[in-house]
Amino acid sequence: MKEIGAADSSQHSALSSQHFDAIVKVSGFVKRYKKHVAVDGVDLTVRKGEIYGLIGPDGSGKSSLMKAIAGVLTYDGGAVEVFGTKVDSERAAERIKPKLGFLPQGLGLNLYPELSIEENIDFFAHLRLVPAKDLIERKARLLAMTRLERFRDRAMKHLSGGMKQKLGLICTLIHEPELAILDEPTTGVDPVSRREFWLILANLIQEKGMTVLVSTAYMDEAERFHRLSFLSGGKVLASGMPTEVQALVPGSMVTFEATPQLEAIARLKKSFRQVESLGPLLHVFTGTADQSEARLQIEAALGDLVPAAVRVDQPELEDVFVALLLRNNEHKETSGRPPTSAAAHNHDGVAIEAEGLIREFGTFRAVDGVSFQVKQGEIFGLLGANGAGKTTVIKMLNGILLPTAGAGLVAGADMRTAAGTIKQRIGYMSQAFSLYLDLTVEENIRLFAGIYGLDKRSMTKRYQWIVTMAGLSGYESSLTGQLPMGVRQRLALGCALVHSPRVLFLDEPTSGVDPIGRRHFWEILSKLAREEGVAILITTHYMSEAEHCDNLALMYAGRIVAEGSPADMKRQVEKEAGRLFEVVADQPGKALVYLQQAGFHGAALFGTKLHIFCRDPVRDKACACRALEESGLHVTSVSERPLSLEDVFVYRVMSLEQAERVPGQEVAV
Amino acid sequence: MNPRRIAAVARKEWKETVRDRLFLLMAFLLPALWMVVFGYGLVLDVEHVPFAVLDRDQSSLSRDYLYRFIESRYFDYRGSVSDEREIDQLLGDTAIRMAIVVPERFEERLLAGRSVTVQTLLDGTFPLHADTTKGYVIAVNNSFTQELLTDFLARTRGLGSDEARRLAEPVSLETRYLYNQEVRSTWSMVPALIMFALMVASPLLTALGVVREKETGSIYNIYSSTASKAEYLVGKLAPYVTISTINVAALWMIAVWLFRVPFKGNIAVFIAASMLFVLCSTGIGLVISLLVRTQMAALIITIIIAMVPTILFSGLLVPVPSLSPGAQVQAHLFPMMYYTDVVRGSFLKGLGLKAMWTDLLALAGFAVVLQLVAYGLFTKRPKA
Repeated sequence: MKEIGAADSSQHSALSSQHFDAIVKVSGFVKRYKKHVAVDGVDLTVRKGEIYGLIGPDGSGKSSLMKAIAGVLTYDGGAVEVFGTKVDSERAAERIKPKLGFLPQGLGLNLYPELSIEENIDFFAHLRLVPAKDLIERKARLLAMTRLERFRDRAMKHLSGGMKQKLGLICTLIHEPELAILDEPTTGVDPVSRREFWLILANLIQEKGMTVLVSTAYMDEAERFHRLSFLSGGKVLASGMPTEVQALVPGSMVTFEATPQLEAIARLKKSFRQVESLGPLLHVFTGTADQSEARLQIEAALGDLVPAAVRVDQPELEDVFVALLLRNNEHKETSGRPPTSAAAHNHDGVAIEAEGLIREFGTFRAVDGVSFQVKQGEIFGLLGANGAGKTTVIKMLNGILLPTAGAGLVAGADMRTAAGTIKQRIGYMSQAFSLYLDLTVEENIRLFAGIYGLDKRSMTKRYQWIVTMAGLSGYESSLTGQLPMGVRQRLALGCALVHSPRVLFLDEPTSGVDPIGRRHFWEILSKLAREEGVAILITTHYMSEAEHCDNLALMYAGRIVAEGSPADMKRQVEKEAGRLFEVVADQPGKALVYLQQAGFHGAALFGTKLHIFCRDPVRDKACACRALEESGLHVTSVSERPLSLEDVFVYRVMSLEQAERVPGQEVAV
Repeated sequence: MNPRRIAAVARKEWKETVRDRLFLLMAFLLPALWMVVFGYGLVLDVEHVPFAVLDRDQSSLSRDYLYRFIESRYFDYRGSVSDEREIDQLLGDTAIRMAIVVPERFEERLLAGRSVTVQTLLDGTFPLHADTTKGYVIAVNNSFTQELLTDFLARTRGLGSDEARRLAEPVSLETRYLYNQEVRSTWSMVPALIMFALMVASPLLTALGVVREKETGSIYNIYSSTASKAEYLVGKLAPYVTISTINVAALWMIAVWLFRVPFKGNIAVFIAASMLFVLCSTGIGLVISLLVRTQMAALIITIIIAMVPTILFSGLLVPVPSLSPGAQVQAHLFPMMYYTDVVRGSFLKGLGLKAMWTDLLALAGFAVVLQLVAYGLFTKRPKA
């Protein structure tokens, strides 16, 4: 267990050099719920002044660990020490609470819906006996920082997701705790609000010297943390600084195009375990850090297929996590190659066509002139913050909701007149999976087959196909309620495909599934699209997943504001805003302020690093360095980074918001 | 115990309750509604029994006889019929619940000194109802017979009417109803309904108020804060105790002004007992809320616990001494019986502290025990 060893060593260094600075010390932590072991032997040290991240999928034990540290949950083994107090009884737990702020999981769930923003804050402050003078001063500052002051009197139940999240943070921090424990504060919030949240948090830490223990299910947020632990199945798979974790699994990511893609994937899979297709691109993790060596390995594996547009990068943290997961628990690769349907499907032709769709609810226009096309065999991603109109578009295309104006063709049927036909020809999978948890896998599939009126022979045939395609063999007689989330998700997909639909709608299908499960799911989706020619329309709030789509449309306030392939969208933003650079400097918090003063308004803090956009790389880079060094900060390095789709999303939405924002008339995001 | 923290919790709880329309209705409308619905609906008096007559004699004496039924407040005359088959149909449709058939030659036979048989047909669907009706019929019939006899004696022996009555009815009965002079079931039921309405609304409100916080996770604000267990519980209960106290006043007014039940007792004793009972009922809600996780579970358990012993063992419908020995023991295990005693004693009997101090003591005991149990069950560092 190499990675655990590495985790230990990083803790040793923490203990030896800054022993007195350890605010949280956890060793051999065990938590059981009846027979189920939720956390099994976790060690963790959080030092003063850092943002410590717990990363892991649902059910990995993050929440149990955080609650126990906050003194609001008992545990069954090991030791938890906070501020030097052993938290082993209710009485001991009470002693640490004055210095502690805890934000439980669930967006806005710990707030009081009937109370206004101000009343919510006041309640938390009064509960903590914050003096009236301090309260007024802090409230003003925090409300200004979160841009919530305009909504002081608005009831919490009328706030948007991003606003609830910010209010939750204010309430947790109003008594200025020394340690803030935040359980998944960014889950369910759109990327723009998430970025804003991290910015606010970074500023507060900078000002008050607070320590933060925070958890997230988004792998791409790992870079926000000074140090982190990656949890899976109640155990720590890796911990340390992001760079340290990255070093645990040396390797490189090779990205390239190769045709035919399916043949290339089959060949690559013989030598590599992490092969992903991102639209036309292939994304392969190689076990060598030497970039030219990695390239050679790929070429050797591909044989006579020649890779084009090859790029070799350092692996992202998510790739590292997947490698660790694969290494640790021999993940069973159950998905076989399903027999391709006998009838060769027509892979061309338009599967979904939306033209000028408009939908109004009273005076509110939820969808405003949306047009797009999805071809058979294409994976199309619909992105956008909550309330941007994604779900309304899907409902109209499914024939559930009539458009106010505009037309649409789904699987050859007109959505205005042939809603019934559409429902026969499409598959739909929702976030909730809509499975019967008390039925077995087989019973669920047969039930859906029955609902769609399959006869006995085609049912048997289809059943076999689904089990192979979704990698469900071995689970046939398991109760659905007892399946891991990833398997449940694949079953839901199978059930949506029972009647061989030519068009598939997926509404946020991957929430709560671990990264390996998500990758497995996407592998199935791309097979469906490439081999079966199924058209797939998907909505997701995981921006890293949007990379898998062939084409994307970004919705904002009911309109499509950007569209194209992921690469196109990035190019467009690069053209408008410039290229992305990562700056490493000492005292990153101060550096951020200086950069913003120097005119880099898009500057953002990622853990200890800063991101800035440079329209003219040479000139802007020099300008940034000068601004920092004139203020007495030392710049360690400035390097270019590839844009992520999240950068694209945030840039687009922010510039739209700025354009819309008339002073004094700010609207809720 | 820091009063500022208690006030913070109480104020928040109060705002949430009065702003949530569902909670607000449950808090103030539900008890009054129960009281009015049951006060009018749970009347056990049998009055205005609809009936029809078939007068085959059509004489002045037969009309005199039937007139005694028609003018009685216990009966409601719905008309006379000419055929027995019509009676069957009317009874079948429940248009009437009783019919009286006067035979032919009723007057002629009576004046000739012979006896006659009048037939009464009663709807026996509700035995208690039919029995009571039968009692009324017998009473009316008896008084008619008595009068005939008195008349006869006066006429034949040439006596004065008083003397004749003494002779005809050597033992006369004098009944006096105490506490409820008119023997109205409303008078006995409505005060007990104050207990019933409080027992349903306050535990429900309290239980849902706490479990709501558990369900959403906002209870973690309390767990992770510096507020102590007692501060939280006191702050949390205060609004519900206030609401229930307002309800006691409202229910009292409904009883006195709407149902016209006289209040004869000591108002201070009544208020003291009511406050203790409110502490008991909210305490029951609090204990339930600490044992369950979801609002649905809290709702079901509270309704079962609040309703079953309240209806069966509190003396609401059946007096406790009339219960089986086992049921009597159970009745003493819940606070409802003691409060019912105090309420009825205060309203109807005009009893004071002297007669009811044991009930008050029992209520105080229940209140203390329930609140202590709640304190013991509540933990800021739970197992799951």
